[in-house]
Amino acid sequence: MNTGFLQSLRALTRLKPSQKLQRDYLLSLLAALLVAFGLGCGIMLLCGYDPIKAFGVLFQGALGTRISFGNTMAKTVTLCLTGLAMSVAAKAGMFNVGGEGQLYLGAMAAAVVGAALTGAPLWLVTLLALGAALAAGALYALIPALLKVKWKVDEVITTIMLNSAAIYFCSYLANGPMKTGDRGIASGTDAIAAGAAFAPLIKLSNLTTGLFYAAVAAFLCWYLMKRSTMGFEMKLTGENDRFARYGGIRTGRLMLWSMVISGALCGLVGMLEVFGLHKRFLVTISNEFYFDGMLVAMIMRYNPFGTILMSFFFAILNIGGKSMELKAGISSELILIIQSIIIFFMAAEGGIRRMLGEKLAARRARRAAVKAGREAKA
Amino acid sequence: MSELFSTLLFQNTLRTATPVVLAALGCLLTQHVNITNIGIEGMMLTGAFFAVLGSWLFGSWLMGLVFAMGAGVLLGLFYYVFVIKFGSDEFIIGVALNIFAGGLTVFLLRTLFQVKGSFSGPGIVPLPTLTFPLLAKIPLLGPLLSGNTLLVYVSWLLVPLLWVMIYKTPLGFHLRAAGEYPEALRSAGRNPNRMKCLASVLCGMLSCLAGAHLSLGYLRMFAENMSAARGYVAFACVIFGRGNPPLVFLAALLFGFIDALGLRLQKVLPSDLTSMAPYVVTVVMMVAVVLLEKRKKKRLARLSR
Amino acid sequence: MPQPQSPIVEFSHVSMQYPGVLANDDVSLSIKGGEVFALVGENGAGKSTLMNLLYGLQKPTLGSILVRGQKITGSYTPQKAMSLGISMVHQHFKLVPSFTVSQNILLGHEPRKAGLFYDQAQADALVRDLSARYSLEVNPRDLVGELSVGLQQRVEILKALRSGADVLILDEPTAVLTPQETDELFAVIRRMVSERNMTVILITHKLPEVMRVSDRVGVMKRGKLVTVLDTAKTSEKEIASLMVGREVLFDELRDEKPPGAEVLRVTDLQALSDRSLPALHDIDLAVRSGEIVGVCGIEGNGQTELVECLTGMRSLAGGSILLNGEDISRLLPGEIRARGVSHIPEDRLRTGLSAKSSLTDNLLVGKQRSKDFSFLGIHLRREQARQYARRLTEEFDIRTSGVDEMVSSLSGGNMQKVVIAREFSFGSPLLIISQPTRGVDIGAIEFIHEEIIRQRNKGCAILLVSADLDELIRLSDRLVTLYEGRITGRFDPGTITREEIGYYMTGGRQEGGPI
Repeated sequence: MNTGFLQSLRALTRLKPSQKLQRDYLLSLLAALLVAFGLGCGIMLLCGYDPIKAFGVLFQGALGTRISFGNTMAKTVTLCLTGLAMSVAAKAGMFNVGGEGQLYLGAMAAAVVGAALTGAPLWLVTLLALGAALAAGALYALIPALLKVKWKVDEVITTIMLNSAAIYFCSYLANGPMKTGDRGIASGTDAIAAGAAFAPLIKLSNLTTGLFYAAVAAFLCWYLMKRSTMGFEMKLTGENDRFARYGGIRTGRLMLWSMVISGALCGLVGMLEVFGLHKRFLVTISNEFYFDGMLVAMIMRYNPFGTILMSFFFAILNIGGKSMELKAGISSELILIIQSIIIFFMAAEGGIRRMLGEKLAARRARRAAVKAGREAKA
Repeated sequence: MSELFSTLLFQNTLRTATPVVLAALGCLLTQHVNITNIGIEGMMLTGAFFAVLGSWLFGSWLMGLVFAMGAGVLLGLFYYVFVIKFGSDEFIIGVALNIFAGGLTVFLLRTLFQVKGSFSGPGIVPLPTLTFPLLAKIPLLGPLLSGNTLLVYVSWLLVPLLWVMIYKTPLGFHLRAAGEYPEALRSAGRNPNRMKCLASVLCGMLSCLAGAHLSLGYLRMFAENMSAARGYVAFACVIFGRGNPPLVFLAALLFGFIDALGLRLQKVLPSDLTSMAPYVVTVVMMVAVVLLEKRKKKRLARLSR
Repeated sequence: MPQPQSPIVEFSHVSMQYPGVLANDDVSLSIKGGEVFALVGENGAGKSTLMNLLYGLQKPTLGSILVRGQKITGSYTPQKAMSLGISMVHQHFKLVPSFTVSQNILLGHEPRKAGLFYDQAQADALVRDLSARYSLEVNPRDLVGELSVGLQQRVEILKALRSGADVLILDEPTAVLTPQETDELFAVIRRMVSERNMTVILITHKLPEVMRVSDRVGVMKRGKLVTVLDTAKTSEKEIASLMVGREVLFDELRDEKPPGAEVLRVTDLQALSDRSLPALHDIDLAVRSGEIVGVCGIEGNGQTELVECLTGMRSLAGGSILLNGEDISRLLPGEIRARGVSHIPEDRLRTGLSAKSSLTDNLLVGKQRSKDFSFLGIHLRREQARQYARRLTEEFDIRTSGVDEMVSSLSGGNMQKVVIAREFSFGSPLLIISQPTRGVDIGAIEFIHEEIIRQRNKGCAILLVSADLDELIRLSDRLVTLYEGRITGRFDPGTITREEIGYYMTGGRQEGGPI
């Protein structure tokens, strides 16, 4: 037998506790993926589709051509940034479910500034639009954050409510005061300054130079969460805020900052949609993008690096799901079902493992005790 | 002004409030066993779909309700198993459940009915409307008290019923003990998890009934994401009413009133702005609860000093 | 006193295996009817586990339990135990605070009207009847959350007696009681045994109480039953050496030198509790360098609030706190820390540690922005932090498999050492120490006491809050008693008896005692 393989197996069992934890987690993730895909296949069979063909179409549709690969990458960027937005807030113990609204406002701000500055130098247009998008998202996230920190108003409900409020508000602007006169645009704003939009990196695909903005933002997030003193303090606040306060950390301020950063990231996503894809604000600019990213982040337990990797996987499902719908006639919502099943099992992972572990331990203990009893008698 | 505050306004209030009332009554049960259930949004949506499905398949509103409640029982059990048995995070499971429901209903809509967006048709039998000739004769209130759909009356009946159950029966005591201090219940030889399971299943059923009222009450159709964050509003109402059924009922009526008022104001204001109102009001309500509580505490402190 | 009769409960070769721990190891024991049987041992010796088996909370891995000669089999639950006449009062009361006394006592067995509704009148009558039968007075309509701890215990005992139990297990019943309340409880126990011929099993680690109230005593050590003695024929000293396996002697570590300058001065301090009720009234207190001031009192008399005010975790309602002459009463916890106040909190898992974080992270807190561990206060130098954590782990003898280990996997004693290692490493002139040895085994207690004295000898000013009177008397240079948020007495520990302190702790006397 291959000794190298055996050795690596043995090394796996001698991992340090933290590494062991990660290994167990990855194994659970693999199991959850298998279960979710198994259930997905089951549903397809029930509905009379061929799962192998469907998944073939799915991967073909996501990675098969240069254009589809570009689209998948563009989707990865969106998922990854929204996922990181969720993670930054969650690290400090804030459950920001309001990213969708922050994204809409960021997109609206970028579109309005981008259109208003027609004629100005292009770098200035981009810069100011970027600033406006970040500020809009950040300020909107600041509202639930302040309510939580000052008055302990639960942020889950307020952020969800503010989502709907922001989407209706943007819809009002796009149908009312900011409505464009351009033909063929039902509810949207004027187009941004000509030439200001991001250039495509792969022709005809959605992947644009916006990728670089996203890369910088993702790197900063990773650094903040994993390598900085502030990230350390945020982590402690999220894990046990009383302890953090006791340790001299200004928890309230950190929670505000984490939400501001989270909101700014969502605003950035909004701007990327405007400058990268639509060149203007449309009411259909996001289709619950934030919720997709949120799922990714939750599955990877708010680990920034894991979020980036998982985003790519989810982007394949997402983009591939659309072509599966077109070519195999299977509703792309099946992908959403598979994704949420993965979350159910990943959220329950600890509990399921504990239950299995307890059963095993009980059996082992009984056996050991019986053995000890026998020896005592002998 | 008088035109604004017509009977129609209050009829609309009832119409929009009823699903919120039903879901909130379910949610308050889980609140009493100390489960923060934000999954009611998804439960509502699923209930709305299965009500339409049942009604359409069998041509009977009763089967619609049976389907909805069946879905509710399953979802309640599912929620209980994941949150209590596996000890997962309530928020994550709740949010995931809502996303799951969004995916499932649309997937089924497209697979079973081959339509996008919404499904309506003459095959769907709506909930019956009950008219009480005697009540209808009461001036002013008559049109409000009579001629509503079945579930409106059910929701009215449930408010006092649940109040009595929670505060006046041993079952209610066990429910509250399971939430406040489960060890006490366990040492009395009762399993607190059974109470949590019961609350979760009842919550699933009531939330799905709320959904059924959305789809079979007045509209006779199912539309994608038709619950439109009403589940979250119901949750806010539970917080606002501190889990006490009559207070929660009033909070839900207030929500319905603002929603209805927004509809009326559409003549003067763009519909997008009036649609914002209930959500903004909910946020304001949540803040108000906290501030009121604070003031009450301060007053108590001053009294005891 | 009636003669103890034949065995009512028998353990026969009982073993209980938890994952990784053998909590009970081949225990055989018989308890006679009509006696008070004390079960003593250190933390983790297996006393509570053994009683949990008897009460049906867990199942033994091996061996069998006999009640009145009948072997317990199958699914044995607390309900079954109660039907066999066995009842248990837990150390942590299992009461619902927002329910009335009646609702709590009758929980799960409520009288009903029309088969559905709670019958309040009948419930109150039942409770009055029960309380008269055992002469344990309670008001059925009181809300349990508003009762004193002593009264809550009474409710808990009544709840245990509701089903007519004749074997009563009491788990550490005096841990939260005043000396006077303890006397009362013991009177009740003796009365139950003599008048109603009940059997009482007492789990405890307080030996004087064992001597006072029990007929026989079983000593447990590391899961094994070491021996069973007749209380009348043994001594505290003998039991203690059996419990620990060696003589426990605490060396006198204090050097006798006069205290130095005043470090902490508290004047007219007022504060509110979490429920916005007044918790502290006009506290005046000073701590000088090189002395330990002990604060004694029954828990819940303002100690928590006092410590939180001093460390900035709670805002003041009045008065001032001076640290080396500077007013710190409006500062944030971090600012107070920076001025040289370290704090060992009473609840290490809630306040003193982040259980889900690594040892390194827990030891680093408070220093993360210092030059040693960061670049410009922005970049965290993680390798330096880990090295530092390794050094502290060695210095404070924290038993762990590595500095990346999660704190939640450590034992109670080692967790407390993590807190102490971090707090003592700041070199702060003022230490606020609260319940330093709660839930810690004897070996670690010695170590912790030595460390505290060493800090004192180095010239630290120390404010020590503890529920353990022995600990306070052993360590403190001066003592103050706290009762209902007021200082009721100030003493020199050498000049006062425990009973007198007990009086002050219960408001029996007011300030003005000997200083």
